[in-house]
Amino acid sequence: MVVFLGVTLTFIIPRFSPNDPVETRVSQMMMSGGQVNPEAVIHLREALNEMYGLKGSSLEQYLAFWGRLFRGDLGPSLSTFPTPVTELIARAMPWTLGLLLTSIIVSWVVGNLLGGIASYYTESRVMHVIDVLSQAVRPIPYYIMALVLLVVFAYFIPIFPFSGAYPAGTRVEWSLNFVLTVIKHSMLPAISLVIVGMGGWFLGMKSLTSNIISEDYVVYAETAGLRPRRILFSYVIRNALLPQVTGLALQLGMIFNGALIMEVVFGYPGMGMLTLQAVMANDYSLIMGIAIFSIIGVATSVLILDLLYPLFDPRVRHQ
Amino acid sequence: MSEFRITRREFLIQLGLLTAGSALASCAGPAAPTAVPATGPTAGPAATAVPKPTAAAVGKEVAPGVPRSETLILENPTGRVVPADDFNRWRPGIQSASTGLQQLGLDALWYIDPDAGISGVWDNSLAEEKPIYNKDFTQMTVKLRKGIYWSDGVEFTADDLIYTVDIQKKTAGLAYTGQFQSYVASMEKPDNYTVVFKLTKPNSRFHGLFTVRWSACWIMPKHVFEKQADPVAFKFNPPLSLSAYVLKDFDPNGNWYVWQRREDWQRTTLARFGMPGPKYAMYIAPGPSDKKVIAQTAKDLDVIHDIAPEGMITLAKTNPTSKGWFKSFPWAHPDPTLPAVMLNLAKSPYEMKEVRWALTLAIDIVRVAMASYRGAATISGIHVPPTGLYPKYYFDPLEQWLKDFTIDVGGQPYKPWDSEAPKRIADEARKALGNLVPTDAAEIRKSIGMGWWKYDVKAAEQLLLSKGFKRDSNKMWLKPNGEAWKIPLMCEGETRPIMNRAAAMIAENWKEFGIDSFADVRDSATRANLPSLGEFDAHLSWTIETWGGHPDLFYFLESWHSTYLRPLGERSVARNWFRWKNAELDKIIDQIQNLDFDDPKGLELGKEFVKLATREQPTIPIMSYNVFSVVDETYWEGFPTAENPYTNPVANWANTKYMFPKIKPKAK
Repeated sequence: MVVFLGVTLTFIIPRFSPNDPVETRVSQMMMSGGQVNPEAVIHLREALNEMYGLKGSSLEQYLAFWGRLFRGDLGPSLSTFPTPVTELIARAMPWTLGLLLTSIIVSWVVGNLLGGIASYYTESRVMHVIDVLSQAVRPIPYYIMALVLLVVFAYFIPIFPFSGAYPAGTRVEWSLNFVLTVIKHSMLPAISLVIVGMGGWFLGMKSLTSNIISEDYVVYAETAGLRPRRILFSYVIRNALLPQVTGLALQLGMIFNGALIMEVVFGYPGMGMLTLQAVMANDYSLIMGIAIFSIIGVATSVLILDLLYPLFDPRVRHQ
Repeated sequence: MSEFRITRREFLIQLGLLTAGSALASCAGPAAPTAVPATGPTAGPAATAVPKPTAAAVGKEVAPGVPRSETLILENPTGRVVPADDFNRWRPGIQSASTGLQQLGLDALWYIDPDAGISGVWDNSLAEEKPIYNKDFTQMTVKLRKGIYWSDGVEFTADDLIYTVDIQKKTAGLAYTGQFQSYVASMEKPDNYTVVFKLTKPNSRFHGLFTVRWSACWIMPKHVFEKQADPVAFKFNPPLSLSAYVLKDFDPNGNWYVWQRREDWQRTTLARFGMPGPKYAMYIAPGPSDKKVIAQTAKDLDVIHDIAPEGMITLAKTNPTSKGWFKSFPWAHPDPTLPAVMLNLAKSPYEMKEVRWALTLAIDIVRVAMASYRGAATISGIHVPPTGLYPKYYFDPLEQWLKDFTIDVGGQPYKPWDSEAPKRIADEARKALGNLVPTDAAEIRKSIGMGWWKYDVKAAEQLLLSKGFKRDSNKMWLKPNGEAWKIPLMCEGETRPIMNRAAAMIAENWKEFGIDSFADVRDSATRANLPSLGEFDAHLSWTIETWGGHPDLFYFLESWHSTYLRPLGERSVARNWFRWKNAELDKIIDQIQNLDFDDPKGLELGKEFVKLATREQPTIPIMSYNVFSVVDETYWEGFPTAENPYTNPVANWANTKYMFPKIKPKAK
């Protein structure tokens, strides 16, 4: 039902926009600097409507779309006709998955760990500094953080590349050098995502654990003489983990949307840039293709999360 | 409940390893070049000697097997190309056009340069001579050059030209299907190098379809396309070349393309001008304006297509090897196009000429030039761009007429022309840029323009009052029917900040005058759609595009004919989004259509059009679209400039191919 509603809404919404993919193409043709006779424009409009499958009523287009979808065919992209939508997504997805998956997991792990530690070891000066930094970083809009990092570490102290996933002229191939180059290019975007993401997880975990440390079972464990590290990880953090895992699952599902601002700032060739291209060109097919992946991604993440809950919290299994 | 299984020591060790791994990766150098097998152009005549590369460049590679010293690096303004491997230039909407494909790989029958041209404005490229029409323009004969070969060694002949037209005529969805269906009745091939087109109706501008301004109908390799079941879906990868370079390598993610000079470059049309200097040309997607400035400063980008004026000023001040079209201010190359404020003449009150003139006189062009280009604008008060050879064709001959031109303001003849506007722009720009801005009147005229319309709100007010407009208690204008007057000025957003800033200042001018106006920023897809339906009041955009080097105005005027006029709500056919209908205009267009392309009467009719448009002011012309194409002369020299305007330097224009035989390694 979630997928059906999501896909249906995605089909409808772009059609309410004041844009028309055929007009976008006609306009491109007219502004392409070649002589265009007016009569040719009329022909071109008709041909493009036919080719793009935009002839017929919206209901007919909707039914045809579901028919294709059941066959695993998302149709051709309108802005890059006749390239299949699946091909465009397949090319962009690995970049986004590689960068966002790593960044989200790293920020989640580090943020939660530090949040738990900061909450438990309230006397630690180091944790106090991290706490202040997290609170300071958290409200900074991501695009500001990304631009600051870019200017500082790619211009003033040029230790990271300016943009892209690898330098111009590099062959894409499975070699150690290429992988290292890609890692180097992804470091700055990854750091920006980790810094901003980590602050949220840090504060969330600190807030959750601050209530738990005064619970009876924690006091009892301390009275029983258990080592603080054991109390922290087995009693405090573990009991606070469930909402954080839910948050992680939802965020992982959103990976399929890409990180638009990050990809624009750092010139990264992932799903965010593809989404931007699709929206700018009013490419119905591509918008729907990306949305379907995103809907399925979120729905699958939530499903997996439901299945995994008992592993994190035995109380769920017991119920 | 399971217990936590990792010790603090183990955790710290793992954290340390993760950090060390990240640091190691970030310190790694760029990927080592791998050997790439060269695309195998056919053997041809031996290349002539080239000057030796500079010492600084020796040893560095920009791609595997591609030395920096032998490579010209240019910006592909399309950015990242998606999909990267689609080179079917005959399908509308293809993204790889400016990757070098149309500049270095494809060829057309004729080229008209927007500037002076390498050997005159008109170049017979694949055609041996100009098009030959019969008397009533129902037949066009093309004589083709002999000895031109595709990069796979197959000779280019009349069969390729006939196939190009025939397949597009037959196949819906290719770029020129409509044009050829409308005009081509049949084709004949008297010999291997001659094609005779029989046209369905008289068309004295049929050759325009095959003539490159920025692009045109490129010739297809028959022997490749005829083997394809679906010529629309065919990706043409790797693209066969008919020009002097062949695609050597490209990034599957569309960030870069490397072209290599063909070994048999002498069997291409470019050979007439000598051997192309760079052995390689690399088109890259360098990102936004600031990144282009940094890349050129770092000597990693020889030709910038366009940057923001601030970027140009930065380069002019900090990178001595960076050169613009003009030696100094305003640096930019003026496109042969004319951004103008289109007023929707099918909507009230814009059908009134007096209203259009009032809005014109309420614009302070000095402030618009400063806001948009920091003064580096080339302004035009008339409906042709002030660029290429148009100052000679139109501006100089019409100057006195413009000075004498009057409109009726309050029952008195009023002279609206302002010859001093360019000087005021230069004076204003000089406040920030000092000596970079010329003081010489001739220089100012050449680079900033000949004049514009007076900024005279009192005259504008009188014009509005004469048509029944009134001001309310807040001094804001009310339309004759008593409604508040609101003008959303549609314009581009971040894609072209120049247009956005110009629109914002024009709206500000109108607001100061008492009209509720604002810059209505829209994305390109919306701007492609709404004006077509007539859903706008005012729109700052292009409707006037010209050949630049040739005075013929039919290029854009054809679609202004009333035959193609559509009512509001119905899609306009081509460029007449502002819906101007004028019998005198129709007559001028009909007369031009019945003349030969080079007939001197065409220029006279063009001037008649300019006079008519000035009287009627259907749109408000603003300025040429100045492109800050900046070249860096660290590795290469001999680029076109205002002093030596042998071609357009703007990197995505197909006629930049003429740059390649002229540029040579920088002599030290």
